Amino acid sequence: MASDGIGILLVGAGFIADAHSAAVAVTPGARIAGIVDVDPGRAAAFARSQGGIPHASDLAQALAWPDIDAAIVCTPNFTHAEIGAAVAGAGKHLLIEKPLTTTVADARALQAAFAGKGLVLAAAHTHRAYDYGRAVKAAVAGIGEPFLVRLAILGGWIWPDWSAWVADPARSGGHALHNGVHLLDLATWWLDARPVAVSARGHKQTAADLGIYDYLEMVVDYANGATAVCEMSRAHRPGSFNQRELFVAGTGGAVRQDWDGEAAVLYAENGPALVPAAGGNGFALQLRAWLDSIGGAAPLMPVEDAVLAVAMGVAAERSIATGERVTLDEVLA
Amino acid sequence: MIRVRLLGEAGIGTQNHQRDMYRPAFERHPGFTVVGDDEEADAVSVALPLPERAAAIEREIRAGRHVLADKPLAATAAECERLATLAEEHNVVVVPAHHQRLGGALRSAKAAIRAGRVGLPWNVQCDFIVAGGDFAGDSGAGGELLNLGLYPIDIVCDLLGLAVTKVRATGGPLGTLQLNTLQLDHEHGVTSTIVVGRVPQVHGIAPAGLLLHRYRVSGSHGVLVIDATRPALEVRTAREATRAWIGPGTVDTLLDVFAAGIRTGRAELGPRDAVRAQRIVEAAQQSINEGRGVQLDAIR
Repeated sequence: MASDGIGILLVGAGFIADAHSAAVAVTPGARIAGIVDVDPGRAAAFARSQGGIPHASDLAQALAWPDIDAAIVCTPNFTHAEIGAAVAGAGKHLLIEKPLTTTVADARALQAAFAGKGLVLAAAHTHRAYDYGRAVKAAVAGIGEPFLVRLAILGGWIWPDWSAWVADPARSGGHALHNGVHLLDLATWWLDARPVAVSARGHKQTAADLGIYDYLEMVVDYANGATAVCEMSRAHRPGSFNQRELFVAGTGGAVRQDWDGEAAVLYAENGPALVPAAGGNGFALQLRAWLDSIGGAAPLMPVEDAVLAVAMGVAAERSIATGERVTLDEVLA
Repeated sequence: MIRVRLLGEAGIGTQNHQRDMYRPAFERHPGFTVVGDDEEADAVSVALPLPERAAAIEREIRAGRHVLADKPLAATAAECERLATLAEEHNVVVVPAHHQRLGGALRSAKAAIRAGRVGLPWNVQCDFIVAGGDFAGDSGAGGELLNLGLYPIDIVCDLLGLAVTKVRATGGPLGTLQLNTLQLDHEHGVTSTIVVGRVPQVHGIAPAGLLLHRYRVSGSHGVLVIDATRPALEVRTAREATRAWIGPGTVDTLLDVFAAGIRTGRAELGPRDAVRAQRIVEAAQQSINEGRGVQLDAIR
């Protein structure tokens, strides 16, 4: 590692790379040491925006640069398994966008590859690092044993046109893998319980010919009798609809945050809108936790939890397809 | 003036809805007068123990008396079905006390949905969660799924007006608490989800009060969010935080419905609603027992 901190290679120069690079910019002990993207022009443009860092379109070439200690992968979901394996092969630590991979087998393979080399692998389940995620985790400690989570993250269509890779289940793994894993992981983290089955349903609201379900409902059963009801939507109308609601019940009380629990409400000519309260930087906190875990600290997002999130996402997609409850044992077998 | 006789003071667990809800509501309602056991009556208010309830209601129907029945109308969907048929044959009005659907917010919401203000509904989410009070999960009469679940099931079906084709359910008792999650499939691909049960007593909610009673109706052209604990005032003093309901209570409105039904021969809430709700409860229990979804022949 160079004296000016861990050198990080950004893999993929899409929109989420901006959030990660901004986090690096405010984090002592880390720096963006290079960018690689399959589109050379996009890699070059990103490099210029970072003050002229090295750029490339070939991953192996970039991983071989001398001051690269770790990588942050911001590429589409279907590329995670191959790119992750390359990063492990190069002996670098990895923070990879969620989902860890789109299949359980690939997730386990990555887990083994990094563990075998003593490298740190973390999936960017950023909601664990967001203010609300941490606040609920802390509050749940005061309500006895939690046994119900209700979590809804709802909004309108935000993706591009039919060319969007997210809307192609072959490339995204489906909505349960792409966004659903955030909620599945968060609920499981809050409950601190072992998930055993998922009963999911989906709607294709924006267009009947969608390849993915833009609205998801995922009901998770846990070994201790707890239940989580997770809703994820990019299907709501009007498109400006944007709500997050949560409710956690325990043997000694309950935690609740309504749609307006973290924002001011603005009434303007085009209707009401939320003005979110200023708060912490979840991406920076997530980055700090990953860097600390490279230094030996306990991880914020253990890799086994990322594998489990993939398994729950796969179970949700399978449950929607079959119309039945799918056990985690089936998915993990 | 409709003469009404009060039959029984029992319910699930330690409930006494006759004493606490129906008698005071009848006594203050301008359309009813409460009569004694030895007087002629046009109608009866039945709150007998569940094992005796269906037989008693049957006797009253056969005697030509209209019936207001504490919920559940009877112990099983089959018994409810029999009473519904009998009521139709004898031309009497039977109203099951599904009074929660009659809250002001829900009545307005139903009208807004019917008027197309959210377009075509495609999903409903509901939380009906009571805090504290007496746990009915070990009552041997269907537990909290029947005791509490009937209300939100009835409301969701009433809001949507769409047949239920499949029920999946999970959850159950956790000590003296109980939460169940019901996933209902309706015709036209519409889905609804109901989380119902009882959680521990919490500060600021009266024992057996509703901690959450809310609905979110997502439609093709809008979203309707209903807090059914309203209309209400929040009243805070140095010693307590309470809520004061605004407008007519749901039991008072139930008696309006009962009186109008007796006058016109047709009530907006009847035994077919009890049959539908009870069949869904039974399907949910079957789903929990078998760990799979239960298909239904379109319950309207």
